[in-house]
Amino acid sequence: MRVEKVFSEVLGLPPDMITDGTSPDNTPQWDSMAAMNLVVAIEDEFDVRLSTAEIVSMRNVAIVKKVLTSKGVADA
Amino acid sequence: MAEQTQASGSANRTASIEAKKAWRQHLARGEAETPTLRIGLAASFTAETLVPFIGAALLAESANPVITVGPYNQLFQTCLDPQASFHGPSDVVILLWRLEDLMLDEITAFAGGDASALRRAGDKLDALIGAIQQLRRNFSGMVIAGVPPYPTGPAANVLALDNPGGLGGFHRTLAGQFADEMGRTEGVHLVDLDAVQRQVGMVASDDARYRYLYRQPFSDVFLHTLGHQVSRIVMASRRAAKKCVVLDADNTLWGGIIGEDGIDGIQIGDEFPGSAFRDFQKLLLSWRQQGVFLALASKNNEADVWEVFDKHSGMVLKREHLSAWQIGWLPKAEGIPAIAKSLNIGTDSLVFIDDNPMEIGYMREARPEVTSILVPSEPAEIVAAMQALTLFDQLEVTDEDRKRADMMRAERDREVLGTQISHSDFLRALDLKIDLFRAKTEDLGRITQLINKTNQYNLTTIRRTLDEVRALAASDAWRLYAFRVTDKFGEYGLVGVIIAQVSDDRRCWTLDSVMMSCRVLGRGVEAALIGGLADDARAEGAVEFVGLYIPTAKNAICKSFLPDQGFTQTGEQEWHLALSDAPAIPAHVTRVGSPELPLQAAAE
Repeated sequence: MRVEKVFSEVLGLPPDMITDGTSPDNTPQWDSMAAMNLVVAIEDEFDVRLSTAEIVSMRNVAIVKKVLTSKGVADA
Repeated sequence: MAEQTQASGSANRTASIEAKKAWRQHLARGEAETPTLRIGLAASFTAETLVPFIGAALLAESANPVITVGPYNQLFQTCLDPQASFHGPSDVVILLWRLEDLMLDEITAFAGGDASALRRAGDKLDALIGAIQQLRRNFSGMVIAGVPPYPTGPAANVLALDNPGGLGGFHRTLAGQFADEMGRTEGVHLVDLDAVQRQVGMVASDDARYRYLYRQPFSDVFLHTLGHQVSRIVMASRRAAKKCVVLDADNTLWGGIIGEDGIDGIQIGDEFPGSAFRDFQKLLLSWRQQGVFLALASKNNEADVWEVFDKHSGMVLKREHLSAWQIGWLPKAEGIPAIAKSLNIGTDSLVFIDDNPMEIGYMREARPEVTSILVPSEPAEIVAAMQALTLFDQLEVTDEDRKRADMMRAERDREVLGTQISHSDFLRALDLKIDLFRAKTEDLGRITQLINKTNQYNLTTIRRTLDEVRALAASDAWRLYAFRVTDKFGEYGLVGVIIAQVSDDRRCWTLDSVMMSCRVLGRGVEAALIGGLADDARAEGAVEFVGLYIPTAKNAICKSFLPDQGFTQTGEQEWHLALSDAPAIPAHVTRVGSPELPLQAAAE
């Protein structure tokens, strides 16, 4: 739920519009500037530091959750 | 106090997350729809991540900014057409750049041993300086230009063994040249990214991931500190600086308690902890140099305190540096009005500094308009904490500021004369001279300062930026006057401004603004001003003045200015004076100064 909240705030979309399948391909709000803001917001919210490989891989919400889980975040 | 110290120190991670959150919530609340401050931010790098930090710092100062980021690395275009870059008008334009974004080839060549690369980089720098100067001419708001930080990247290795100088000389030369040129350009203010980088630390300033991925080279701590610094500069131009610091003595100006420890027991001088207090006194003197009055509020026997000031060799601060004092056993809050009154300033212009949390608490309770600051109990931290105060921030320090505290001393001598003889003899003995003149270019900085700082003796309280003042001085439809006052005790300096709008048929001058320092009141100066102005207006063919008085919470003191000079009320805020009825310059006042070429004539 926390991931959806971050995406909803950064992209300016209602939380129920954010699904695991939300990606730059189906969400025009997720442009290159939003991508940077998402990384900043995710790092702040979950107190993690993402590697460039992880950042580049995060092409949809499901992958973001997987990356966070792999970094020990339990309630992503 | 906590937030004050934080303000200029390097920020930590929690604080920077809080700042971003505050800005996000501000945007979510929709307050950005009705901004009070429009900022355009353009940079040679991705600047979007700086926005929340500038925004949050300004929100904390009660401003309501909207911040628009211009196109990436398009500084020249932005300088040519800021409206297009920021999709509309701005009050403030901020331009930030890095050497490696504009001069990467030259950096690489220089690091490879090609000394002529510095000259080529200098040519590019000149082009940038020229563009910013052009922006300055065409844009009437505030311009803030960034001094570039030390470069990052492979050519910039500061620890390289084969090239200990590294890019140091390259950066120093170009950053220095840029700062010099911009510093000389009136109305351009500098924000020093080099200093921010040094404050935060070069390693901690860099975020290589964001630099590579997003062309956003800076860490949150750097951006947070930079945001504060930008906010300080913006706010310093929009808010009056505090005018007087009221100081506790024991454990604030020196270590120990004079009444208990005696003059030989207190700590002040070259040995720690006395050296920490000595350095604080030096800082106080530098504030005084900027025009801040120093006053004393001490619970002590007066003779004990003066003994320290007059006899202790470790004291940097002398009795003559003080403009007012309240020494005794009454609550300190009760002495505050007398201090403010003797300096002709409002009690909300005072900053109270004391080491005792109880005194600070009492003052905040009794006098909430006074800014009360607690001195750290660790002497080694006093100077850093006091340096972090932004209350005395002032972008341009004028000669009047530097002389102000000294001029107040002459004021005390005048009062002594005033008590010895009758009022009319006093006026004659004062030998008052007034120089009322059309403003010249070199006066515009001081004039703008008066326009934006004068709260009490200000008939209309219309604020104007330097550029608006400059435009008005060059316009034939306006007359921009300033005046200096001198008497036998010394100079008051440039103490007042009158702005008149001339009607199309030249017959009527509307006094859009009349303001002066309260220090010169009540000696016939007011009548001399209107009399002198009427002489000039008649010479230009005018027959009447329209006077305006717009009451504010602070300007009741000038309520009777217009009727006293013979104006009659014709509207709610409007008054009239036929120039045939204008007062003459009083006999005890001499108008001096020869008419010099006003700006309009000089421009023609």
